[in-house]
Amino acid sequence: MESNRSFLTQLQILTKRLVLRVIRRPLAELPNIFISAFFLFVYDGALGGVFGGSAQGTPFDFANGNFVNFILPVSIVSASVSGGASGIYLVEDIESGVFKRYQSMPISKWAIILAPMLVGALRVLLQAGLIMVIGKIIGADPAVGAVGYFMVLSIAFLWGMGFAGYSVAAGVRSGSSQGAQAASFLFFPALFLAPTFVPREALRGWLATASAYNPTTYVIESMRAIMVDGWVTDVISKGYIAAGSFAAITLTFAVISAGKATEKA
Amino acid sequence: MLAVDVKNIKKTFTSKQDTVEAVKDVSFQVEQGEIFGLLGPNGAGKSTTILMLTTLLSITDGKASILGIDVETQDKQVREKIGVALQDTGIDNLLTGRELFFTTCRLWGYNKTDSEKRTKELLELVGLTEAADRRVKTYSGGMKRRLDLGLSLVHSPEILFLDEPTTGLDPGSRRVLWEEIKRLRDTGVTVILTTQYLEEADELADRIAIIDEGLVVAEGTSDELKASIGGDVITFSFETEEDITKAQQVLTDSVQEKMELRITVEDGASKIPGYLKELTTAGIEVSSVSASKPTLDDVFLEVTGYRLEGSEEPVEETPAPTRGRGR
Repeated sequence: MESNRSFLTQLQILTKRLVLRVIRRPLAELPNIFISAFFLFVYDGALGGVFGGSAQGTPFDFANGNFVNFILPVSIVSASVSGGASGIYLVEDIESGVFKRYQSMPISKWAIILAPMLVGALRVLLQAGLIMVIGKIIGADPAVGAVGYFMVLSIAFLWGMGFAGYSVAAGVRSGSSQGAQAASFLFFPALFLAPTFVPREALRGWLATASAYNPTTYVIESMRAIMVDGWVTDVISKGYIAAGSFAAITLTFAVISAGKATEKA
Repeated sequence: MLAVDVKNIKKTFTSKQDTVEAVKDVSFQVEQGEIFGLLGPNGAGKSTTILMLTTLLSITDGKASILGIDVETQDKQVREKIGVALQDTGIDNLLTGRELFFTTCRLWGYNKTDSEKRTKELLELVGLTEAADRRVKTYSGGMKRRLDLGLSLVHSPEILFLDEPTTGLDPGSRRVLWEEIKRLRDTGVTVILTTQYLEEADELADRIAIIDEGLVVAEGTSDELKASIGGDVITFSFETEEDITKAQQVLTDSVQEKMELRITVEDGASKIPGYLKELTTAGIEVSSVSASKPTLDDVFLEVTGYRLEGSEEPVEETPAPTRGRGR
């Protein structure tokens, strides 16, 4: 028996355990997938008739004739919030004492903390990927070509990791799974103080100002450029920067918070 | 080499509101291959002591070593040597017993083939082979405790820490666990356990430390502790408060316990008639009297001044009532 396993092996074993937990609770995955798919169908059904193909040649033709392409990023951003489950996984382990069991073993504390974040990341990819498949089925077609799906997914992944970091930090600081769930409350103002239904140029007054300071705006605009406009590199790169910065800040915050919360008293 | 050497350890918790001395001064030594019991009520400092020795809490003051390895400065090396089953270490209820053993084996460094083999061995050892593929949430309290014990044995530790291993179990499940703990001791494993059950300490522990309010107040084998009281315990029962108050003036060395007075004397049976005569002369009515050899219960009463209320038979899944000074 090797007395000291590598960090990566420990991380892999702990991640696999959490994946098993996710598989054992399939119903926990449904609400977020349902809401994300619901956004896609309802917004396309309600607004697609006005801003879709029939808007061609009018000032409302911001979707280039395909409203699914325009609204799909909103659903993808919604699906990426599923990364917020990371904090719940970690706090569940702390609350149930599983975390303490692992702490009493000679394994890395960081493997115990990073495993739920990794599972959160997998969850984001799964849910955002599923919404993208639904989008494809109902007519989504990226302006940049098939690579656009992977680009949108990569932005969603970064954005989801941002929520994962936020939920881990909120969870360990509050010490409760309710605290970790608070990540989802951040989502609604973030999504709706942004150019959710129309381009930013069409927003007015305080909402236009708020959306300019909301990083979600740049994430949605970046995905929309990929889906609707094509290779508008400055807009696309702003999305990567916004999502990447959000992830970097919250993950750093999460690691510091989790490290402090699990120090020996 | 000593299995465990604890010298004047202290643990103080400081918050903005107040400072709590959970462990004031605890010292003891445990030889390899013995079962050592820490006996005391809830809040006595037993669990805090165990958390410090298992590297999960820092030691405020004092020194402790496990097989000569310093607990505070070499925590990773200590963890290699010990198995831990604490009251609040959890079990993942969504996984099966087999999955939990396998995952724990892998984390301890076994390869996949060896993990499967060790999982099978441990499932048999703790009698969970038939329930191996059921999710843990379907296990009874006794099965979960056996699983917990099994998980702490994955790496064949030299020293095993068990924090109240039978709290909340029915008498049958308790006895099964006791037999398993004794069997482990017989294979050379040193066991340090905490308990609030006198019977458990008496039955299992080769040596016992009684811990109260963060201090070790007595230590020795069960027989040594009982002998330390000296002689027999005579118990007088009374019907009225008035009688018991008057009797205390006659039996000046007695200890009151509800409507009883207990006195420890040499050759108790022969002294009963003399005491009864004195009480009757003083106009006190004694409803019953008996003499017995001291029990661990008597020792506890003698050294702490109160009775350990958690010593009655526990009920499955419901922790037994105690003095409620939870810490």
